[in-house]
Amino acid sequence: MAARAASGAVSRRLWQGLGNLSTSNSKSSTTKNAVFLLSTGVKWAQFSHLHIDFPKEVTKPAITVSDEPDTLYKRLSILVKAHDKAVLDSYEFFAVLAAKELGISIKVHEPPRKIERLTLLKSVHIFKKHRVQYEMRTLYRCLELERLTGCTANVYLEYIQRNLPEGVAMEVTKTQLQPLPEHIREPIWEKEVKDKEESKA
Amino acid sequence: ATERTPRNERQMRRKALPPRTEKMAVDQDWASVYPVAAPFKPSAVPLPVRMGYPVKKGVPLAKEGNLELLKIPNFLHLTPVAIKRHCEALKDFCTEWPAALDSDEKCEKHFPIEIDTADYISSGPSVRNPKARVVTLRVKLSSLNLDDHAKKKLIKLVGERYCKATDELTLRTDRCPLRRQNYDYAVYLLTVLFHESWKTEDWEKSKTRADMDEHVWENSSSEKNLLRTLGRIWATEEGTEASPGHLLGTEEAAQYRECVMHLKNQGEDDAALARYKDAVKRLLHVA
Repeated sequence: MAARAASGAVSRRLWQGLGNLSTSNSKSSTTKNAVFLLSTGVKWAQFSHLHIDFPKEVTKPAITVSDEPDTLYKRLSILVKAHDKAVLDSYEFFAVLAAKELGISIKVHEPPRKIERLTLLKSVHIFKKHRVQYEMRTLYRCLELERLTGCTANVYLEYIQRNLPEGVAMEVTKTQLQPLPEHIREPIWEKEVKDKEESKA
Repeated sequence: ATERTPRNERQMRRKALPPRTEKMAVDQDWASVYPVAAPFKPSAVPLPVRMGYPVKKGVPLAKEGNLELLKIPNFLHLTPVAIKRHCEALKDFCTEWPAALDSDEKCEKHFPIEIDTADYISSGPSVRNPKARVVTLRVKLSSLNLDDHAKKKLIKLVGERYCKATDELTLRTDRCPLRRQNYDYAVYLLTVLFHESWKTEDWEKSKTRADMDEHVWENSSSEKNLLRTLGRIWATEEGTEASPGHLLGTEEAAQYRECVMHLKNQGEDDAALARYKDAVKRLLHVA
């Protein structure tokens, strides 16, 4: 209360000061007034650090092409969990449209919802017969994408995840395809026998 | 006198301007009004939205100063036009799926190993999720270079991780703290299993008939019985000793062998028993 009264008094004095200044400088008066109007209510201790931020030059990310082979994903399964069906519906519409635009085959199904209920005592002390019940509803939506390359998967997932709404969780399961590694083609015992014979001879 | 707003400020306060919605054209670029996820601004959204539980004989509350509209996440920045524009910009970073791998069989043939990994995103005090380090490696044994003995040994080594119905080996690794380490460990496990199954230890040579997984025809009691019966028939008919190779080489003997193997390995069935009956009849020239 005292601090507020004090700051009020300070602001009035500063306002009178600025009022005097405004008659003298016409160019900087508008910015000073704007600054003052912005900071009414803010504690005056931080007044000296106020500045207006100008946006920096944004460079677009460059498309790089590398020689290493792209990873292949047979299936990408995205499970989205939320408390609200309307939010899930909107998000599903967004994800499906994004996939169609990027040329990815997508299928959507809705796993059944899960409700977690708990019963607590209504009162702080005694009154065992009077309880209150809460529940937490988790609704699911499963998006299944088939046959993606690593680059497309990364792009799509980043786009989806950056636009994930508040209070919504996601689990992504990736099934990656890989060739047989070199060392599983042939058993090494024959090579070892050959090497031993060569070293002996 | 202390007032809520001092008289000077009340005089200097600007009048509230009309909301921006009145100046909006019908065909404006909505993506520039809501370029990113932003809270719901009733003065910037020209829709007559109402939300809230109404009082008796009332309507839901209007959008001005409506907390329910602020609480719920809005998708005003993701209109179909905006999504299409974003995707146009993102298309340059995508690559195409190779056209040669359009069916599952081709994928299986060229890329027999499948690696399953999971990522988890949720809001909470921590970004990390301990379930994210699990790696599952699945491979079909038919695509590995294994002979009969190696395949049986591998199945015995692996135990529950092999599914006979789909002929698939599943290795689920969880023991390392990082996903990359778990993946390396899974590949190492597969390599070790493969090479160990090709090895034949000394004690494997002392495998008895009771240890065998399937019924083996050679030196079995069924073979001996067959030879003895056919030998006796031959001796009574021809009067000379018959060679076992000659007796077993006939078509009826081969068919009998197939039926007996099927009954012992795959279990008894009405059709299988009927086939066995036919084979025996043909063998004894009774049918």
